Amino acid sequence: MVFLTGHSGAGKSTLLRLVMMLERASRGQVIVDGRNLSTSPDRVAPLVRRNTGMIFQDHKLLKDKTVADNVALPLMIAGLRYPDIRKRVRASLDKVGLQDKENAWPLTLSGGEQQRVGIARAIVSMPPLLLADEPTGNLDPNLSRELFSLFEHVSEQGTTVLIASHDLDLIRQTHKRVLVLSAGRLADDISASDGL
Amino acid sequence: MRRKNRAWLRRHSYSFFSSLGVLFQHRVGTLMTVLVLGIAMFLPLGLYITLTNLEGMNLRQDEWSAVTVFFKSGTTQAEAEQVADKLEKRFQPEAVILISPKEGMVDFREASGFGESLDMLEENPLPWVMQVSPQPGSTEQVEDRVADLIAFLQSVESVEVTQFDYKWLQRLGRMMELGTAAVTALILLFGLAVVVVVANTIRLDVASHAEEIEILALVGAGNAFVRQPFLYTGLWYGLMGSLLAVIMLGLTMFYLGRPLGLLLETYGTVFSLRGLGASNTLWVLLGGGFLGWLGAWISVQRYLRLLKVGGQLGRT
Repeated sequence: MVFLTGHSGAGKSTLLRLVMMLERASRGQVIVDGRNLSTSPDRVAPLVRRNTGMIFQDHKLLKDKTVADNVALPLMIAGLRYPDIRKRVRASLDKVGLQDKENAWPLTLSGGEQQRVGIARAIVSMPPLLLADEPTGNLDPNLSRELFSLFEHVSEQGTTVLIASHDLDLIRQTHKRVLVLSAGRLADDISASDGL
Repeated sequence: MRRKNRAWLRRHSYSFFSSLGVLFQHRVGTLMTVLVLGIAMFLPLGLYITLTNLEGMNLRQDEWSAVTVFFKSGTTQAEAEQVADKLEKRFQPEAVILISPKEGMVDFREASGFGESLDMLEENPLPWVMQVSPQPGSTEQVEDRVADLIAFLQSVESVEVTQFDYKWLQRLGRMMELGTAAVTALILLFGLAVVVVVANTIRLDVASHAEEIEILALVGAGNAFVRQPFLYTGLWYGLMGSLLAVIMLGLTMFYLGRPLGLLLETYGTVFSLRGLGASNTLWVLLGGGFLGWLGAWISVQRYLRLLKVGGQLGRT
């Protein structure tokens, strides 16, 4: 589990977008899991994104679909059988503590709950890499802490988690590796043991 | 491998039905589009049916190819029969029918309804009448034979008048040619219209789902996955439009059938309206569905290309 921090405009979001092939590097290379994304053709992008769970600051949920349908999206794209999809969706919602909101509509949920739906969707297909762009931006400290411990739990299960965040207090508390960006460059790489 | 195929089938059957469901949700919008498509497809269809029926009527040569000959009043039966014999020897016509004044009066009495007033006439004013049908053949051949018959008859002393709807027939032939060309052009034009209307409707559909498409792409959906629901929507539009056109055609034929039949009876033609037929109907439905799918494909393809070119995915 690695944190990515830096001032506004330092390039945290851009870095995450590069990993998701949402942006193309104008210089240099992006190598993820041994694959050089800079030389990969466009049609590889959906595949890369299927193997990467991303959590956005603005949730990006489908408003006209239920919570369960939203979380099921990656699995439907992968073409799993409906019983399997249902099982995995329930497990995922369980992990984020929203098991009783399965058939709710996103707009009836609070900001924190919507964020958790986004997380459930990102982890439902158990991708090897999980990216989060300011996941605690709109949440109160208690909720933020809960979310961070969830990320920790996920990373302990083998998923690589990269979190871009402003929340220095929270980052300090978790004692993880921190990459500091400044004006598009890596300014500092603080290992877990050093602490901020 | 089999698992992949099953997944593909599952996705397609899901899209097949869910797109129909969405269309039924927005009943008014769907109805309007289907109505436009139905009318657009009905027009060339209706003209095509009209053409094929007119062509069908052409084939009843024994009915339109007859030349009616009115003898001068005072012609005797013997003289009329003599002319009939000459005709048969010379032209070997399909049929020669002589109608005596008496027979004529009987027919006239029945048809006109004057009945008793006719009894008051001292003499029967009706002349001998002869109907000659030339040998059957192609429309051109028959036209020539009729011309020969008339030329001969006009030289016969006892013949007063020869009647033949010659010009009408020629006109019909030329009209058929024009009609066929026009129908072909209209089918192409309206086919294009169908594609454009569906493309436009789907374009709006796609635009209104822009957010959803963006999210799908972020979660890793490929172009095919994003396209699918729209393609099926286009297919349904096309199918429903062509179905509506076929139904409208059926209703029109039902509505016009009886008065048309009665009108043609007065021309002495026994006529039954020929519809599309089962296999043609199937082609129309498939064709409509295909055009709808095509319109949707064009629309979605353009939008997807724009997305890639613009690269605006995921920006808030």
